[in-house]
Amino acid sequence: MDISLNKEELAFEKEVEDFLAEHLPRGHEMWTKRAEWFAALKEKGWDVINWPKEFGGPDWSPTQHYIWDKVSCKEVLPPVMPFGQVMLAPVLMKYGNKEQHERFLPDIRDNKSMWCQGYSEPGAGSDLASLKCKADLTEDGKHYIINGTKIWTTMGHVANWIFCLTRTSSDGPKQEGITFLLFDMKSPGVEVKPIFTLGGSHHVNQVFFTDVKVPVENRIGEEGKGWTYAKGLLQHERKGIAGISRCVYALDKLKEKAQRVPVGDSTLIQDQGFKKKIAVAEIELLALEFTELRSLADMVNSGSPGSQSSILKLKGTEMQQTIQELTLEAGGIYATPWGNKKFGPKFSKGGMEGYLNGRPATIYGGCSEVQKDVIAKRVLGL
Amino acid sequence: MDFNLTEEQSLLKDSVEKFIGDNYDLNDRRKLAQSTLGYSEDFWKQYADLGWLGLPFSESEGGFGGDLIDTMIMMEELGKGLILEPYYASVILAGAALRNGGTAEQKDKLIGGIVSGDIKATVAYSEEQARFNLNDVATTAEKSGDGYVISGTKSVVANAETADFIIVAARTSGERADAKGITLFVVDAKSEGVSLANYPTVDALRASEVTFANVKVSASDIMGELDNGLGLLEEIRDEAILALCAEAVGGMDLLYKDTVDYCKQREQFGHALSDFQTLKHRFSEMFIEAEQCRSLLYRATLEKNNGSADSRKLIHALKYKVGKAGRFIGQGAVQSHGGMGVTEELRIGHYFIRLAVIDSMFGNFDYHLDQYTELMTIPDDKGEEDSMPFM
Repeated sequence: MDISLNKEELAFEKEVEDFLAEHLPRGHEMWTKRAEWFAALKEKGWDVINWPKEFGGPDWSPTQHYIWDKVSCKEVLPPVMPFGQVMLAPVLMKYGNKEQHERFLPDIRDNKSMWCQGYSEPGAGSDLASLKCKADLTEDGKHYIINGTKIWTTMGHVANWIFCLTRTSSDGPKQEGITFLLFDMKSPGVEVKPIFTLGGSHHVNQVFFTDVKVPVENRIGEEGKGWTYAKGLLQHERKGIAGISRCVYALDKLKEKAQRVPVGDSTLIQDQGFKKKIAVAEIELLALEFTELRSLADMVNSGSPGSQSSILKLKGTEMQQTIQELTLEAGGIYATPWGNKKFGPKFSKGGMEGYLNGRPATIYGGCSEVQKDVIAKRVLGL
Repeated sequence: MDFNLTEEQSLLKDSVEKFIGDNYDLNDRRKLAQSTLGYSEDFWKQYADLGWLGLPFSESEGGFGGDLIDTMIMMEELGKGLILEPYYASVILAGAALRNGGTAEQKDKLIGGIVSGDIKATVAYSEEQARFNLNDVATTAEKSGDGYVISGTKSVVANAETADFIIVAARTSGERADAKGITLFVVDAKSEGVSLANYPTVDALRASEVTFANVKVSASDIMGELDNGLGLLEEIRDEAILALCAEAVGGMDLLYKDTVDYCKQREQFGHALSDFQTLKHRFSEMFIEAEQCRSLLYRATLEKNNGSADSRKLIHALKYKVGKAGRFIGQGAVQSHGGMGVTEELRIGHYFIRLAVIDSMFGNFDYHLDQYTELMTIPDDKGEEDSMPFM
């Protein structure tokens, strides 16, 4: 047992630190110098770190990925929507054909296309396989005609493409007869209606399809095999959702914020009760970081993550919510003023927003209850 | 980065596992616990022959040259057997005291005997009024001629009854709860004035209240520095906690596994208990808590083994987590077993008890949360707004 990094790994750690020091836009430049940042990443060969080498990825070892996370979590990186690069791309690479690779991957890589995910339906949430959105093949076999609806479509109102699970057959078990289609959000018959979530945010939508015509060449893999492809995608989604490194950063930030909150002549960080709650969260996070590391070590050794990996999505999202709750609590009375005028500590409105917007993390990507079922089945053999 | 055991460590693990499997059946253990001695001298000799009693001592001192990772492996496996021999008192506690604070003469005198099994030792560090505070030492050691005279009573001293030497913390200066002024002494258990009130503990081990009535010791019996014994006590505590938590983590694994197995075959309402989702979810949570404890155990042990400055903080974190998770896993196991869970018949009840005992040793989870909170790093406020407040 040894957790120290070897000479090459230490050199890589330095390389990452140096790269961030030189190229990462900080403060408001995060938004104004996004393009320069992505260009620098691409030039370095680090723009699509999770992609295989043949598609332009850097071919990092799991340890290198760990180092990247460990170093970069201390900074705020300009965000990339996960739908294209993280979620769809691996499915496209594995199950799509060469023509589809050439057609879609370059724009995904360069953030030129904006994707959304057509998975959940009003009647298919955690039980995703019971989805009903229909895709009927035309008589000439050249198109699918889509009728139905998708819900919780994040960024559906700005996305130009959707990857969508549709039902092409209702015979047999519900996992069969599902087909994975890609189509243009500007296609006739696509209608997007906003859903406002708690606090009035608009991130998610319900999308309606009425006789939307999709060419068969937009189908990934075989008709009826979409469930297999989708399951693979969920694994990538869950890995990203856990966000453990990000929690380390956020907890440190919370400790800073608590120093800015007055409590009489003292500050909140001096409050033993509050400080203890931070300590409890930090201890859980210390454990979780090592659980992730153990899972990573299993990847290096055996090529598949160990049983500990099943914990990561569940505990990682709980940890995010714990930190969001504590940030909300830190805001105190100023957690309530809403709208654009700012009163009280600057972070306090964001604390409430984080609390509200953070709730779905334990719901999407396989809710916490489903994760516990998965552990009971796969790890405990029940 | 590597979490694999070395070949030697695998061999060690296998040999302890085999010994426990062959010798520590629950019924045999019960009989042994009720014997006069409370453990097996024969097993103790076997531990010596197998080199286990010398595990943490360096080869130059006559030991096996193992590190804290080896001890962790050893304690996890021994813990699965809930062994009754005074391994913890003699090898872990007294071993840590000797290695970290023993003079050349003391090492010479004791380590060889501990390794061969001919000498047993223990450490007397706690007192009734002190609760978990190592600073709070009312037992005094007054200077008298060239030596000292020790007076006072020590509480719940592990395996004192069979110890040949008792390493005791006494106050040589300062007020009762001062950090400075504590000195450790190696006392021959047969010295005049040492008296023991012996009792079994609830986990079938043995302990004593040890009273020192004007016990004479010489200056050469001082272990570590005069008046600066607290640091040594804290070192002993750190190593003891790592060992106890390794034991606890081994027990946690067995607790959730036994519970799952039991509930697979126990039927009620026409279903195996394991078909009920409320129980499935409890088992998943028990598994998660056990894995989180294992992660912290590895983290704290590896950092301590590397001599990291952060390790004490991690050890407080570990003891907190193991105490808290130990309650959850132990109670979950008993509850899921129904009436059978509260009998002495199944081993889960005995691990449940042992976890409760471990939480009481060297500070319970509340105590260690306080200690962790005290040591927690608070970064300077850079006053920058978070550009991603939702994380």
